[in-house]
Amino acid sequence: MWHGEGFDVARGDAEFVEFARAASARLVHAAFLMTGDHHQAEDAAQTALARTYASWSRIRDDDAYGYARRILVNHLVDGWRRPIREYPTEEVPEQRRDDVADEVATRRWLTAILGVLSPRERAIVVLRYYFDLPEAQVARELTISVGTVKSTSSRALEKLRGTGPRAVDTREACR
Amino acid sequence: MSELDRLRHAMRVTERPGATLDLAAVMRDGRRLRTRRRVAGAGAATLATGLVAAVVAVVAGALPGDPRTIERPPPVAVAPMPPAGVTPTPLGTPGRTPATTAGRTEPPPSPLGQVIDSGIRHGTDQRVYYVVQVSVPGQPRVKIGLVAGRRAPHGTLTTDLLVNDVEGSDRSPGFHQIGYDSGGSPAPVPTFGYFVGPAQRIIGTVNGRQVAARLARWSADKQVVIFWFDPADLAPGDRLDGIVARDGSNRRL
Repeated sequence: MWHGEGFDVARGDAEFVEFARAASARLVHAAFLMTGDHHQAEDAAQTALARTYASWSRIRDDDAYGYARRILVNHLVDGWRRPIREYPTEEVPEQRRDDVADEVATRRWLTAILGVLSPRERAIVVLRYYFDLPEAQVARELTISVGTVKSTSSRALEKLRGTGPRAVDTREACR
Repeated sequence: MSELDRLRHAMRVTERPGATLDLAAVMRDGRRLRTRRRVAGAGAATLATGLVAAVVAVVAGALPGDPRTIERPPPVAVAPMPPAGVTPTPLGTPGRTPATTAGRTEPPPSPLGQVIDSGIRHGTDQRVYYVVQVSVPGQPRVKIGLVAGRRAPHGTLTTDLLVNDVEGSDRSPGFHQIGYDSGGSPAPVPTFGYFVGPAQRIIGTVNGRQVAARLARWSADKQVVIFWFDPADLAPGDRLDGIVARDGSNRRL
């Protein structure tokens, strides 16, 4: 649940609240893609937004979303020792939809294939294919070279292809 | 649909529209972090750039929710990727860190044990590593942090980056927090950290390549092995994919 209404907030704070509401879903989901754990993802997104808020006066007129995204991704990559976890199947979305079973199956497939990647590979895959960032920008955000982005991305996709058939089978079996 | 298209599609359709974040907590933590930066900047000129991976400083608790802190820019430059803070505790002044105004006279943290010269130079400055006392609220077993600093020819120490545990024990066996350059320091900070145990070799992996760290034991506790990577082997800021420690018999620890 969001909190924020009723605060005696300054104008800058109101802007931040608006920004946070708009950005949070994608940040949380990106963190989930990188960790496979909802609680960890929410913690990471909350940390990223807190740090963004701490610098709000400096970045509000710049690329605040990019700033929050960079903090989030690097925060998670720094925690590379944490293993990716299986998605707990009992945690289905509260807002049930007709296709909820399909979404759970897709999420399980996604967790399975991302789970074979190293933390850096996951970060690059998420930045490249979820946020649709060009390689040069991924390199800047992770403070690595473009060559490293290319080679790591290529290696990650190879792994995903290797995982593909089994994952597809799993998905079909869940239908 | 290709594998890549399927991946893209799956990443998008599984997004949940309703976030469950606590915005009040976000803003409270952000205010505390902002306050900590201001204290750090005002209190210790040598402690300006990078405090990493820790809990919000106790001093921040002095002003929770204080609307006067909103939108007041920090008076000093801060790291581009600001971390959450910790309070380095100056020797001889244990306990709570003084409030904002008192921070102006707070001395910089003093090294515990010997300062380690890495052999790396930044102009005339030496890249050094040293342990400092820290205070993390609610974590009584976290008492030390590791600093990457510089030592000028006349002996003055400048702190670039401090890393410490945020939970558990700072002496538990194994690896502890690893410090990465975040671009906020005047001089690039080689990746560093510490391991507790009888490590004789520490090997990092990055992009499938193995990189050996340089080691030194902490003079105050020989179980604490401080390590760092030569910037020629591992570019500052580049994230490790893995790291292992081995003993004298080449057994993995």
